[in-house]
Amino acid sequence: MPTDRRWFSRVLALAALVALAGALLLPPAGETQSTLGEIKKRDKMIVGVKTDFPPFGSVDASGKNIGFDIDVAYELGKAMLGDPRKVELVSVTSGNRIPYLQSGKIDIIVATVTINDERKKVVEFSEPYFLSGALILVPKASPINDVKDLNGKKVAIIQGAITDADLAELAPQATRLKYGKVTEAVLAVKAGHADAFVQDDILILKLAKENPDMRAAGKPFYPRGYGIAVRKGDVEFINWVNAQLKRMRADGTYERIWKKHLAEFEASLVKP
Amino acid sequence: MKAYEFHFIEIWKALPYLTEGAALTIGISFLAMLLGLVVGLALALTSQGSLRVGRWAVSAYVEIFRNTPLLIQIFFIYFGLPLLLVKLPAFASGLLALTLYSAAYNAEVFRAGLEAVPRGQREAARSTGLTAWQEARHVIVPQAVRISFPALGNNLVSLVKNSSLVSAIGMVELMFVANDISFNNFRSFEVYGAAVVYYMIIILVLSRGLALVERRLQKALA
Repeated sequence: MPTDRRWFSRVLALAALVALAGALLLPPAGETQSTLGEIKKRDKMIVGVKTDFPPFGSVDASGKNIGFDIDVAYELGKAMLGDPRKVELVSVTSGNRIPYLQSGKIDIIVATVTINDERKKVVEFSEPYFLSGALILVPKASPINDVKDLNGKKVAIIQGAITDADLAELAPQATRLKYGKVTEAVLAVKAGHADAFVQDDILILKLAKENPDMRAAGKPFYPRGYGIAVRKGDVEFINWVNAQLKRMRADGTYERIWKKHLAEFEASLVKP
Repeated sequence: MKAYEFHFIEIWKALPYLTEGAALTIGISFLAMLLGLVVGLALALTSQGSLRVGRWAVSAYVEIFRNTPLLIQIFFIYFGLPLLLVKLPAFASGLLALTLYSAAYNAEVFRAGLEAVPRGQREAARSTGLTAWQEARHVIVPQAVRISFPALGNNLVSLVKNSSLVSAIGMVELMFVANDISFNNFRSFEVYGAAVVYYMIIILVLSRGLALVERRLQKALA
């Protein structure tokens, strides 16, 4: 019967797929090679940055990437290749930035990655270059003023962001609605699908400033460091990054970038 | 680059959550399928009807929904509509978008099916004294459905795959779950691989079922 033959060939295709997967996984060949040499040879540094996360990484009206992380990325490119224009920026989200790094789509992440133990298992982190807690963005008239008030409410968060686990712990009765990008989470609050949006304090402060119909609620909770991340085991590269961060602090570059992007929030932030 | 170490255990750990996601994928696809078929048939019949406004409206509908990305339609309904008209929760928004989108494709398939029913059948039905409704119900639509069936099957398979797009509005279906797990354990290969197998199983079962129905239809109407 022709139908049966079709059925058989489908099963065969599935088996082939499984076999292919197996073959791909077999020999763990090759050594961990430093990305440093690769970047120099290519004469281009590919950096994963945010495009939905002001003031760290966003896009201005003319389509240009701007933000704290962007300037840090250009600094790194200039230090290694002598020209900030040799930096290629790739837009990443909280969810896909580490998979992008793992799969070799980018060399390095400068995209508000909060350092935690889970992530330390899969990437190499630099020393922290910024300290961030989390805050709550709510509509102006909202009764929410504290993390505890989020219990029983619908709270927008970003898929893959650290606030997911934090909120499960601090407001276990909150329903967490997960979105891929910051813009979508904000839209969800504006459309009334969510009562609040929880994310890093600096972002929420900036969003509250940009959206007059919203405000930042609560006190920043769980302050943790942002780190620059490279592939697991690439110690040579991360040491270079750490040396650069140290140099940027010593020669005033860090101070200049901080002033440029964060001065307006100075009072509510902790300098690492 | 370091060789990837395959961790089979991660699939095992992810399985209950993935299964939950698969259940929602099946649920929303099935509902959208049913609604999409009903709406699609209604649209096709209207497009064949005598009312010019109706024909015009259907062709506008079909053009709009076939010529814009489904993701835009989902976002429009979920994020856009609440600002003006009505706030639909994620499930309703996703279901509505999938239904409207697949109905547009089904309408085109049904229309072709209706047009392929020989003229003589209509004339015969008319001459035996059937009313317009009886003619449609007993003569034209059954034949059109049989003619349309293979192409409809393709639409239904596409619908299951397209349902992954509602992950973008926070629907916890298979694609969303796969993202959710791999964004936290960073085992993209294992987790997406498992999701691929899940989708394949769902679609293989669906197309097997469709093949059975198709054979029944051919027999019943032969």
